[in-house]
Parts: sequence; structure tokens; C-alpha cells
Amino acid sequence: MALRSEEMILNVGPQHPSTHGVFRLVVTIDGEQIVDVDPVIGYLHRGTEKLAEDLQYTQIIPYTDRLDYVAAMLNNYALVHTVEYALDLEIPDRAEYLRIIVMELQRVASHLLFMGTYLLDLGAMSPFLYAFRERERIVQLFNEICGARLTYNYMRVGGVKWDAPPGWIEQVLEFVTQMKSKIAMFHELITGNEIFLHRVRGIGIISQEDAVNYSLSGINLRSTGLAWDLRKSRPYSIYDKFQWDVVTGENGDCFDRYMLHMKEMEQSLHIVHQAAESIPSGPVLGKVPKLIRVPAGEYYTSIEGARGELGVYVISDGKDKPYRLKLHRPSFVNLQILRKLLIGLSMANLIAVLGAVDIVLGEVDA
Amino acid sequence: MTPEDEKPQAPKPDDSKAEAAAPAKAEATAKAAAPAKAEATAKPAPRPAKAPPPPDPRAVAAKERADKVKADIEGALGSGVVADTGAAKDIPLLRIEPAHWVKTFEYLKTAPEYLCDYIELFAGTDLLDKGVIEVTVYIQSMQCGHYFNIKTHTPRDDARLPSLVPLFAGVNWEEREVYDLLGVTFEGHPDLRRIMMWDGWNGWPLRKDYNDFDNIPTRGGDPV
Repeated sequence: MALRSEEMILNVGPQHPSTHGVFRLVVTIDGEQIVDVDPVIGYLHRGTEKLAEDLQYTQIIPYTDRLDYVAAMLNNYALVHTVEYALDLEIPDRAEYLRIIVMELQRVASHLLFMGTYLLDLGAMSPFLYAFRERERIVQLFNEICGARLTYNYMRVGGVKWDAPPGWIEQVLEFVTQMKSKIAMFHELITGNEIFLHRVRGIGIISQEDAVNYSLSGINLRSTGLAWDLRKSRPYSIYDKFQWDVVTGENGDCFDRYMLHMKEMEQSLHIVHQAAESIPSGPVLGKVPKLIRVPAGEYYTSIEGARGELGVYVISDGKDKPYRLKLHRPSFVNLQILRKLLIGLSMANLIAVLGAVDIVLGEVDA
Repeated sequence: MTPEDEKPQAPKPDDSKAEAAAPAKAEATAKAAAPAKAEATAKPAPRPAKAPPPPDPRAVAAKERADKVKADIEGALGSGVVADTGAAKDIPLLRIEPAHWVKTFEYLKTAPEYLCDYIELFAGTDLLDKGVIEVTVYIQSMQCGHYFNIKTHTPRDDARLPSLVPLFAGVNWEEREVYDLLGVTFEGHPDLRRIMMWDGWNGWPLRKDYNDFDNIPTRGGDPV
């Protein structure tokens, strides 16, 4: 005799803590099984692209802070990079080094936040506290260099706003050394944990074919084994000066995505270490006209953000404001595969899969 | 940019004598107007910032590359598919006729010499003075390393395009976003609804003639 079951609609979010912001999932479940998922976004839509059409390029930079608000340095850079590319600007060496240092520290901070909140989602409280303790040190370093803890507004077209205060580079080097041992501790605490492994191994598997077809980027793409990292595959800034590896996963499951976050932190620290040791002296802001006018045309550049390909597309009609500014936000694109991953899973795995896709709603909704 | 567009800006730094010597007939009036205006407004010596840059060799190479791709596409799909070629800075640019939009992507995705399988950017723009909505796609080939800017134009008053979702699952939300904010109807899209704004919103916010006051929020939340 077949068991009669009835489908039920369950609303997850928009105020559910595990959705990391205001993200709503309308889940149709049959018992414990997920039958259908309808992600609803837009609760945080502020119309940044429309606002940018009335702003000069320098004025747009603080708006980018509010996109992926846990990795604002990278957002800052994505915008100024496009303008610099359009203008063919020369960036002073010291500025490039400072940018690399803050961007890679930001990536570590962002990945730490992922680690902490992901484990929190899965029910482990202490990793969250460990993660925030380490992240706090990065945030304080940023506070010293630019006076803000979250929304930095640090990059400028042609360089950076502030030079590092005396002793800052030494503090960075000290942090890098200590952080490396901390990562080893995290591996001991989390990576070998049997309960954790049971929750994430073999769950939410993305095939390489799907990853490319869904235009995934960042760790979601690399977890499938494809070594596609824009820092290597379409080099920008001075990443080619440093020795580091693109780390990839094998199975494309949640565990691989967690593991890649940890390994990327190590690689980022490696880059920071090299950059901080070899940073030259000199100016931190190049010769840039007071009023930046981008020559008429269209420009798209993308960088490897903390969550994937972070791109800025500018159409200019030669004025000091963009005619159109389109932000390619990795979280928005990566989130699309969620429906495919979730259907057929049991309800308990929903949070594990959603957490591993690693979204920030400020970026999804722009 | 075509050379005709750049020419009128050229003589700004010089004075009017140089202009009189210019041999062109059709452009003479435009040229005469430009320096006259510049002299009237700018009292100190005008900055020589507007000198036309020599054609960027990267752009020239990109255009040549685009022309080659155009020949390949039209060889496979027949002539009249590619409306225009050019360069977006250093990226080859092809403008496709909207009727051949899907066919072109199908060709680029499956042809063994291209294998463009990864869509990077999907953007819509309202080109008000041309009366069209422009949809731009940056596409990458993971295996062959190609990187193109493919775009098309669709009229503003009847903006519709065939959907690319059957070919690239990743453009699903991107097309919804372009529909939501620019009002392009993607035919054949499996789930075309607003994504950022809510149902019942009036107008297309990213259009240049969009009026905020079309949406005065009421107490219930829905615009009047």
C-alpha cells in the first residue's frame, strides 16, 4: 500500500538567519523531501546601477562598498579597475602593492566569515567566535589604513586614498605569520570533525558541465575541478609578480567548497606575505585629472572577487558620469543553481547547500 | 567610434587660421562652429586634451578578429546575420541581427573552433537617442580561450528577443533582470517575471525616460 503524502509549502526567510540577509525561499516539500524551490530576491534592491548614472566615477566608489559588504575592498577595486582600464592609467607601484595587500586580506576576512557562519548554520557555535576573532584583526588593520571597519571607500581611480601608516606593514606581516598557524588549528577543529563531514560530504554536488552552463564563478566553479581564477586566467593588477597556486576541488560538493575557502585563505596569506615583504616606497596616487571623463565607448573588466567574477561594465558617452553602469555580481549568478541543487534533497540539507554557495544579499540584489 | 565622429573635435587646440586651411567641404561648417564656441567660452589657452588619439592598435586587432568571426558565422548561417563589427576597447565586438540571436549563440557554442560555453556578462542598456534597447553579452570559451562581446538591438517600443536560456542556463535570472529593469520580453523564457521589483510595479526603472512618480507608494505598498 502506497503511503499517501501531501505537499506543503514552507517559507524560508526573508528574515531567516541562515539566509544571511533578506533572502526568501518558497520551498515545496513532500514530507522531508524538497519537491520545488522558488528563490525570491530583491528585498535589498537599492538600484545602485540607476543611482550610478547620476554620479561621477569617484562618487560611485562608496556605493560599491554596500554591494558585497563583507568584501568591500574588492568591490572598490572592481570599479576603479574598469575606469583605469578605460583610461589606460599607469598606477604607482606602491599603490598596486597596497591594493594587493588589502584585497587579499579582505579575501581572508571574507572567507573567515564564510567559515564561521557556515559552521554556525550547521549548528557549531565556536568556529563562529574563532572566525570573528581573527577577522577582527583584519578589520582593525583596515581601520588603521582607511578609517573604516566595513565600508572602506579606500580605492581611488589611479591608486589608493591613504598610504599605510608607520608600522602597518610590519603588523600585516605579523598577522600573516600568526594566521597561518590559526588555519592549521581550524583544520584540526573543523576539517577532521566527523559530524561536520557527514553534513557536507557528497551533498549539493555540482558537475563541471553544469557549473559552466550556469555561468558559475569563483569557488563554486573551482570546486568542480576547473582552474578558472581570473587572477591567473585574465591577469590584472600585479598578481603575476607573486608565486601562488589556483586551488581546485574534485567532487564539487559542499565539502570541497568549504575546503577551497580554507585553502584560498592560505594562498591569499602567501600573496600578502610576498607583497608586504617587497613593497616599494613612493606615491600612492597617480596623476589623474580632477574630473575623470571616460572616453566614449564600452568597457568591461572583471576581477576575482571573494565570491567569484566581480565585473563592472561601463558605457560612457564621454562625460564625467557613466551612461550605464552594470555590475556583474557573482552571488546573483551563483545563486541560480540553488534550485537545481536542492530539488530531491531532504529539508535538513537545505541550509548546508545554501550556506556553501556562499552568497551575500547586498550583492545579489545590488 | 567612426572617424567622422572624432574629426570635429580635432581642431580645438589650434586657432581659426588652421581651420580655414582645412580642405573638407561637408565638415567645414561643423568645424567652424566648434572652434568659435571654444574661443568664446574658454579665455585662457584651451587645454589640448581633446586631441584625437591615434587608432588604438589593440582596437584595430580586435576589429580584424571580429571580422574574421563574422566571416565564419556568416559562412555557416548565411549572410546578413552580423549587422556590424567593431571593438569594445580590445575585445572583438559583433552586433547580431535580433532574428539570428539564438542561432548565432548556438553556432558559437557548438562550432569546434569556438566552443564558447561560458557567459560572463549579460547586460541591457537603453540607448534612448537610437530608440533601441541594447543587450550585450560577453562570452568566453573555456577551452579555446575566445572572448567576444556579442550584442543586439531591439526597438524600445516593442522590445523583444528570443531567450538564450535553453542554451545557457545561467542567463535565466539575467534575462529576468533585463526584463524587470528595461522591459525586454524574452520569448521562450521558462519563467519570465520581475525579479528585483515586485509584480505590479509600473514601468522599467533603468530606462532613460523612466519617471519615479509613476510609482507613488501607497499605504498598502502597491503603487497607485
